[in-house]
Amino acid sequence: MRGLDEESIEELRWEIRLHGRGGQGVVTASKILAESAFAERYHAQSIPFFGAERRGSPVMAFTRISEHEIRERSQIYTPDCVLILDPLVMRVLDVFNGLKDGGGVVISTSSRISDEILPDISLTLVVVDGVGIALKKDLLVAGNPVVNIPVIGAFLRVFPHIGIETVEKVISEKFKRNSKRSVKALYSAYESAEVLKIRGKKRAEKVYSKKPGKIWIPASKPVVGVAGKTGYWRDFRPVINYSRCTNCLNCWIHCPEGSIRRENGEVVIDYDYCKGCLVCLSVCPRRAISSEREVFA
Amino acid sequence: MTEKLLTGNQAVAQAVKNSRVGVVSAYPITPSTPVVEEIAGMVESGEMNARLILVESEHSAMSACIGASLGGARAFTATSSHGLAYMHEMLHYAVNARTPVVMAVANRAIGPGWNIWADLSDSMSQRDTGWIQIYCESNQEIYDSIAMAYRVAEHEDVLLPAMVCYDGFVLSHTSMPVKLDDLSEFLDEYEAAWRVDFDNPSTHGNITPPDYFMDLRREVSRSHERALKIMDRVEREFFETFSRKTPLIAEHYRLDDADTAIVAAGAVSSEAKIAVDNLRRNGIKVGLFRIRCFRPFPVRHTIRALDGVEKIYVFDRSVSIGSEGQMFQEVKSAFYGLSSPPEIYGCVVGLGGRDVTSMVFEKTVMGEIEPGWIGEVIV
Repeated sequence: MRGLDEESIEELRWEIRLHGRGGQGVVTASKILAESAFAERYHAQSIPFFGAERRGSPVMAFTRISEHEIRERSQIYTPDCVLILDPLVMRVLDVFNGLKDGGGVVISTSSRISDEILPDISLTLVVVDGVGIALKKDLLVAGNPVVNIPVIGAFLRVFPHIGIETVEKVISEKFKRNSKRSVKALYSAYESAEVLKIRGKKRAEKVYSKKPGKIWIPASKPVVGVAGKTGYWRDFRPVINYSRCTNCLNCWIHCPEGSIRRENGEVVIDYDYCKGCLVCLSVCPRRAISSEREVFA
Repeated sequence: MTEKLLTGNQAVAQAVKNSRVGVVSAYPITPSTPVVEEIAGMVESGEMNARLILVESEHSAMSACIGASLGGARAFTATSSHGLAYMHEMLHYAVNARTPVVMAVANRAIGPGWNIWADLSDSMSQRDTGWIQIYCESNQEIYDSIAMAYRVAEHEDVLLPAMVCYDGFVLSHTSMPVKLDDLSEFLDEYEAAWRVDFDNPSTHGNITPPDYFMDLRREVSRSHERALKIMDRVEREFFETFSRKTPLIAEHYRLDDADTAIVAAGAVSSEAKIAVDNLRRNGIKVGLFRIRCFRPFPVRHTIRALDGVEKIYVFDRSVSIGSEGQMFQEVKSAFYGLSSPPEIYGCVVGLGGRDVTSMVFEKTVMGEIEPGWIGEVIV
């Protein structure tokens, strides 16, 4: 992997892009990497990019590590490595965009990664079952497995410039009393990660561009935007029991996303865009709406 | 002295603590919220000895700061975007009241078209209030600027409030190395030049009829002129104290033999330096004039720095709608009336957090992009 495990390049400098969803610890992971590199006496920078500032929505973060002062303030477009905390984001984002030939991909998944989804360049692929490790080591926040630490552990397998003990120290200082499980998960991921040299088969896609209209009025309805169909942000799905529903429209008026439609005299939830905030459930006077755990196939 | 990896907001909070601020009043708003969170944490733990007044709006936050300052305390607040706009009336008040409040502004666009990202339009649209305005390109500069701002604002020849502005998220939430110098070597404990004295009561802000008001405003304006001289001195003293060069009025980057100049402020100017280096490698004589202090506007510094330059490209991360970029206006106006002035072009970039890369500067200087509104993110 160019620059990641080779010392012989003109300038030691790495750009790492992290992808995931709100709540998975993308920003924290980027910061831990930067702090660890800083502790190893490199110049380091960590930039978070929040989309909708909401649990479940796509989040990006960028880490730059360099021997020299870092003057860039922009995002990372040609990364040396991408860390993917959640393969679900690949549905709406080209996470491999701009990845350098010979670069690295670290991905948290329990399933096999097909070379059909990887870009047509030579890669070092690191696969780790982040969710599995988080569940085994009891690394949960608000009931959800936290995969950022396992992904860092896997990344360290192919990035020898940061010692795992340094990361352990940074994590211990950051999480204080709660750091034990994180440290265990870090080592477990480091040991169990699978490293492959591979060449992908996926051709680059055309980037979609939009034409501006004459007058832009800031009014909107749920349609496909930069985040794609936002229904996948959901952890819980509201379900209407029509035998109890009186069509009072309380849910319709309260839905913050405009994702409840009126259709043939009934309220209908648009699951393509409902983000599962469950406001409708709490405002329904007849308790006609219940919630179900979302399971994505 | 320790060096830490801090976000821009954390750098502000550390600088406020080390400047021994006495009163902080704020109503948090993205992206400046963590400034207030960090300070609240330090006040709570006893690490910082200050009174934190949480209020119901930014208008009240500034009012409380003005009151605290009149009472003789070193006062601080932080805000962004809609919050700064809501403060507008009290911004004027702080100026005429001559209260040297320092405020951190994490620059953000103003909606609707809801947008929390970097855009200097919020502070630029407050440029006529009489506040001193300083723009930063790195988190180190944010840390340094807070203390420097107090030095200038509290000077008896100035006595004006100052805002330290830094791009939201691009600096406010980005972690970078920051040297935490001991600011007590540079900034003394606060001793108010004038304060409300309960033993010797007086009316403050009383009616000022036409016979006096214009003179009062004239004095404010003169204080701005004097502030530039004080800034020069503060910049020098900062270097003497910490052996670290932090410009306060403007930075000249590779301008000496330049025939083309880029003018920029804030985080994007760091990207502009990369462009200057790349263009220089290809034999293009280009330099950067980075404006740190936008109010007072350093007219003479600008003319002197850009003397002999044939072409100037001014990059604004803001726009005065119906006109053009605010810095573009100022730079053009600085050269008005001079014989053989340079060609000056204006570019509007990076509104609402649109990413700005070094390539934008390179391509504009090379003539590959027309000046004007540049929306493309060029990688």
